[in-house]
Amino acid sequence: MNNAQGTGPIRPAQSVRVVIVDDHAIFRSGLKADLDASIQVVGEAATVEQAIAVIAQERPEVVLLDVHLPGGLGGGGREVIAGSAALLGTTKFLALSVSDAAEDVVAVIRAGARGYVTKTISGAEITDAVFRVAGGDAVFSPRLAGFVLDAFGTAPADIADDELDRLSARELEVMRLIARGYSYKEVAKELFISIKTVETHVSAVLRKLQLSSRHELTKWAAERRLL
Amino acid sequence: MSTALTRPPLVRSSDRIIAGVCSGLAAHLGWPVKNVRIGMAFATLAGGAGLAFYAWLWIMVPTADESARRNARRPASPIAPTVSLDPAFGAGSPRPAGVPPSAQAAGTQPLGTPDGGASAPAAGYGAPAAGYGAPAAGYGAPVRPPWFRVRSMRYGKEILLGAGLLLVAGILIAELLGVDVPLGTLIPAAAVLGGAAIAWMQLDETRRAGLVDKTKADQAGGWARLAAGLALVVAGVLVMVSGSGSWEQTWLALLASVAVLGGVVLVLLPWALKFWRDLESERAGRVRETERAEIAAHLHDSVLQTLALIQRRAGNEHDVIRLARAQERELRGWLFQDPGRDAGQLSDRIKATAAEVEDFLGNAVDVVSVGDTAMTEAHEALVQASREAMLNASRHGGGAVSVYLEVSDGRAEVFIKDRGPGFELNDVPEDRLGVRESIIGRMKRHGGTASITSTSDGTEVRLGLPGLQPDNAEGKS
Repeated sequence: MNNAQGTGPIRPAQSVRVVIVDDHAIFRSGLKADLDASIQVVGEAATVEQAIAVIAQERPEVVLLDVHLPGGLGGGGREVIAGSAALLGTTKFLALSVSDAAEDVVAVIRAGARGYVTKTISGAEITDAVFRVAGGDAVFSPRLAGFVLDAFGTAPADIADDELDRLSARELEVMRLIARGYSYKEVAKELFISIKTVETHVSAVLRKLQLSSRHELTKWAAERRLL
Repeated sequence: MSTALTRPPLVRSSDRIIAGVCSGLAAHLGWPVKNVRIGMAFATLAGGAGLAFYAWLWIMVPTADESARRNARRPASPIAPTVSLDPAFGAGSPRPAGVPPSAQAAGTQPLGTPDGGASAPAAGYGAPAAGYGAPAAGYGAPVRPPWFRVRSMRYGKEILLGAGLLLVAGILIAELLGVDVPLGTLIPAAAVLGGAAIAWMQLDETRRAGLVDKTKADQAGGWARLAAGLALVVAGVLVMVSGSGSWEQTWLALLASVAVLGGVVLVLLPWALKFWRDLESERAGRVRETERAEIAAHLHDSVLQTLALIQRRAGNEHDVIRLARAQERELRGWLFQDPGRDAGQLSDRIKATAAEVEDFLGNAVDVVSVGDTAMTEAHEALVQASREAMLNASRHGGGAVSVYLEVSDGRAEVFIKDRGPGFELNDVPEDRLGVRESIIGRMKRHGGTASITSTSDGTEVRLGLPGLQPDNAEGKS
């Protein structure tokens, strides 16, 4: 359903080591079957505690992390990222969610996840997203792009604003195109820029989303339960 | 008791002279109101029996409003099976189906609730002639089904009342026959008993009120009743104790008794507070129970039905996907939609349209929306044009369709993108009105714009509507 991520150029020769964290065994096995052969699932976890333990032990490159998880202090995926903070440099987190609630998604992104995709996404798309995240890029679904545009506003940055609180005109364009369902490749073609530049813009937006002290962001997310 | 089934429940009517007892009784019995009133007046002449009966009904029978409110407070869950009730009881008061029997058994029903009404008239007939009162009320108890046995205790009160009335009648008859009755002792004693009864009734009310939602009016009435009961008891005791009725003595005794009462209140206060907290937690539990029942009902009506359908259509992938998508949408709406929100906004209309197209053609239509605005005629055209574009995209694109709606500063834009093989607008025959009329023409007529970009990677329709009426534009929040 999520057709944002076309086939990107990043395909490392070696396989990517992945841990799947989700409390539904059916979903975990389904996802394992759907993932590309070059993705090696080295561990699985169903609760916050299990996840932190497995991640610390396996040190995977990418963790596919459900936003809602039982256990711990009730913080779900956010708590797993916080518990694995020491590994954030080497291990990348990709949030998976059915909830679609802005509050949950923004919370897990702000905790340090490198991207967010919906669970209805196809195996090829999720494989692509895993490679992209492993390569250090951010993965934005159209919905996450929509959240960002809604939270940061659709007007480009004024000079007076804190740089972190607004998106630049170019970042806005990129976010708009992603929200419209464009793949990175299509965004690059549309804006006459390279895919690498698109990825740079998306990473910059992710950074703003994570670091912005914009107090409305949290308030906004709390109000927007719907989508 | 079966005759009570066909009758309207005994309630005090709002069409009243004093307390609506007569008209309520008339409605219940199916007699003319005038006859009942005249009968009551005559009964009053007969040694005050009518007055006693009237007062008794006044206390026991709820008003029509109260009765309706009590019934309304028990929300019936649409899915929980109707607890098997003896029909005689089901008729009087629709019982809350979703509430566990224990909760009901615990809540001692006060006298005069609608289902109590079925037995109240039975006791009532006897009251003027006191003698029949007790047996009539008492006979109600043994026929309760086992489920209700816990609650049969309450008929003890009616028996007591009947016995009391019997006693009064006996005394009056004895008086008439010339026997010397020590009224000086009996009246204060009766006052004490009556006051205590009223106060206890109040306690009973409070316990019931803990299970149902309590209104301010109930509370005020409760306090008044408690005060009246207390005053009666104190006065009765004082007159009885002081015997003579000399004022100085009475005042002294009054002071002493108020002091004692104060002490008792002080001692009982912690107990009362605990009692109150129990009530509160019980009420909270009931709210949770109602919520749970509502969720269960919803899941049953929607998700379980869809799962059953999916199992039956497991062979048809297309149907399964469509069912799953439709159910997902419905459930999301139910979970995340704020019911207080105005549902007539542009984004809601676009989402509803996308859902319609999704159901119609089976391909997923994902909507991402940023900002929102109230609908106008031009926005209606935008929705219609979007619908046409979504239909085309779903039909010819043959896959998922992405829809993006953005409203900022009153300007609304909708982008509809598919990943089909694309088409050349100039190749579309002149007589095909879909794209040319329904999309481009319609947008232009309403002052908007429409453009179509089609490549071999897919087609994107862009619709734009300038913000003509800025006061309608809410923009983002």
